[in-house]
Amino acid sequence: MDLTYSPDDLAFRDATRRWLEANLPRGELKTLEERKAWHRQLYDAGYLGMGWPREYGGQDAGPLRQAIVADEMARVNAPPPINGLGISIVGPTIVVHGTEAQKRRYLRKILTAEELWCQLYSEPNAGSDLASLRTRAEDRGDHVVVNGQKIWTSGGAGADWGLLLARTDPTVPKHKGISCFLLHMRQPGVEVRPLRQITGSAHFSEVFMTDARAEKADLIGRLGQGWEIAQTTLSYERGGNSLARVTRYKAAFHQLVQAAKTLTRGGRPLLDDPLVRSRIGRIYAELEVQRYAALRVLSALDKGESPGPASSITKLSYSEFEKRYHELALEILGPWGQLTAGVPWEFLEIATSSGEPGTWAHAFLWSRAGTIYAGSSEIQKNVIGERVLGLPKEVRADRLKA
Amino acid sequence: MDFAFSSDQQLLKQAARAWLAEHCPSTVVRALWDDARGESETMWKEMARLGWLGLAFPEAEGGSALGMVETAVLLEEMGYAACPGPYLPTVLAGLAIAEAATPAQRSRWLPAIATGQARATVAFLDAPVDWAPEATATRAERVGAGCALTGVKQFVPWAHVADLLLVPARAAEGVSLFLVEPTASGLTFSPLLGMDLGTRWATVRLDRVPVAADAILGEPGQATGRLDWLLRRGAVGAAAEMLGAARRCLDLSVAYAKVREQFGQPIGAFQAIRHKCAEMLLEVENAHAATYYAAWALDAGAEDQDLAPSIAKTYVSEAARRVCGEAIQVHGGIGFTWEYDLHLYMKRAKALEAMYGDAEHHRELIARRVAR
Repeated sequence: MDLTYSPDDLAFRDATRRWLEANLPRGELKTLEERKAWHRQLYDAGYLGMGWPREYGGQDAGPLRQAIVADEMARVNAPPPINGLGISIVGPTIVVHGTEAQKRRYLRKILTAEELWCQLYSEPNAGSDLASLRTRAEDRGDHVVVNGQKIWTSGGAGADWGLLLARTDPTVPKHKGISCFLLHMRQPGVEVRPLRQITGSAHFSEVFMTDARAEKADLIGRLGQGWEIAQTTLSYERGGNSLARVTRYKAAFHQLVQAAKTLTRGGRPLLDDPLVRSRIGRIYAELEVQRYAALRVLSALDKGESPGPASSITKLSYSEFEKRYHELALEILGPWGQLTAGVPWEFLEIATSSGEPGTWAHAFLWSRAGTIYAGSSEIQKNVIGERVLGLPKEVRADRLKA
Repeated sequence: MDFAFSSDQQLLKQAARAWLAEHCPSTVVRALWDDARGESETMWKEMARLGWLGLAFPEAEGGSALGMVETAVLLEEMGYAACPGPYLPTVLAGLAIAEAATPAQRSRWLPAIATGQARATVAFLDAPVDWAPEATATRAERVGAGCALTGVKQFVPWAHVADLLLVPARAAEGVSLFLVEPTASGLTFSPLLGMDLGTRWATVRLDRVPVAADAILGEPGQATGRLDWLLRRGAVGAAAEMLGAARRCLDLSVAYAKVREQFGQPIGAFQAIRHKCAEMLLEVENAHAATYYAAWALDAGAEDQDLAPSIAKTYVSEAARRVCGEAIQVHGGIGFTWEYDLHLYMKRAKALEAMYGDAEHHRELIARRVAR
């Protein structure tokens, strides 16, 4: 056990810190062009796609280096790269499963944000049971014709391309009839409608595909391999962002302490109330344990170990923690925690990675998403139970039919 | 950057698991629960031979010069086995001596502890069971060149078998830490039996117990810092032992959920049970991270070395409580029987929850450090 950074890693961290100090955008990035330019600047400096192979524009860097960059960006609340999904999900999928022609065609433009990507997975009737998806892709020789509806598509409005899961064979068991395509979003058969979530803004979209066209040359892997590919993409990058996440929690924690010093109950600062102190001590302990766990996962990843289904533990742990964290924050803040704009004190402004106003209210509302997206807590517990602990599979109606 | 155990630490863990499985199975634990003394001389001597008792002492004094990480590895395994005996209190007393004692005190006690000839303990608490060293109420009055100690120490672990007691007492110049041998006059011991019969406590009454001038550990009147230092190690040690107990409860639950059938299928196939087991694993893995991070921070002198033990103790106390409690629930009726082993581990964790500062005590310490 040794939890210190090597001199090389420290030097890298310091260089990253200096670069961010010199290059961090002053003020908010308002336009798409500004956000693309920031993405491009990050890439040119060597801070995006770091783990990708060199020949496709990456650096073959280890997970620890990637985590250091993410952590330093969180430290200064740097805007995230606009093509985040392309970098974290689509690119690695193409690297692992794509053909040489696909790699040449798509990877570099992901890195440079020349083409923005979204992920077309969930459907209105295929959430946790993703494999029951109904979007069809019918074979027409050199292309497929796609019909169906997707939902909860992050960044759908600005996307040029989508990573699509569609059913190509309805006659085989559901997991085996799904294929994975790259779908051009800028075509008449694809309609994107914003989906407003409980925070009030529309981070996600609904995507309607009516006789849309995807090329056979844009099939990822084999026909029928889509489910398997989706399984691997869902486990990418769990760990790389974990330190950065804790860094954001910590920045918010110090704001919360400021609040507890400023707000009073019975004429005394909340921070003098033993109950508040106890809860602050407890949540800080939980926060730090998230950091220790992140270091543990990260150091394993950096040695080339694959966490596999154990990454479900990480996801379950931080997403459930986030809910507890923000519930406590809103209790301490009282009505100030409800404000969605126009906050009068600095401690009421917090860093977010969602691009939304940095109020506690928004952060609280977003904390409800984490235990649903990318496999709900219930799905994670199933994965942990079956694949980590080896408990027997449940009897499921769809398995009986299959 | 590596959170995994080194190969030596891994070997130590495997050796301890195997040794305890052979020499301290639950039949032995149960026999010791029924034993008046509560621990085994043979086992203690074997632990000495294995090098466990002097693990953290310098090599020149019969030790292996290892640290809190290795100590935590052993304590986790002892928790996993619910092994009865004064290992943790002896280690703590030994660490204090190795850190602060005079050459004469060191040569008197360290080799004796390392070879298994002496057991030791620390009498942290007075009757109000306040873990803050400043709350020490037992008095030390100057008598000639030495002192006389008067007071009542509570919940002194394994005092009835200890050859040495470290006793904090308040003198005119402040709190000092005294080395007291059980043969001294004015000392009486009465047992306190808790629900974990693998942990024995005693009330130790001191009625003008004479201690010589050379029986003070460290600077006179300056012991509160040393006691805080020691409590941090006690907190990490207790966390490790609770972690082991919780992991045992998890393992037993998972094994049981695979074979116990109701409604025509193994209960582990029901999400109600499977999800409980998944939550228990999450708690155990986080408890592992908290415990070993803190042990490493103490060994490495990390900048958060004073904070991490409090985080470990508060987190693991609660995690172990949940895991051990849910284990009983997963088992159902059989988990409530005396026959079934589950309660051995649950009770060990419960006994340690209250020791070396409970979760609330450490939350306040955390708040003091980070909420300023």
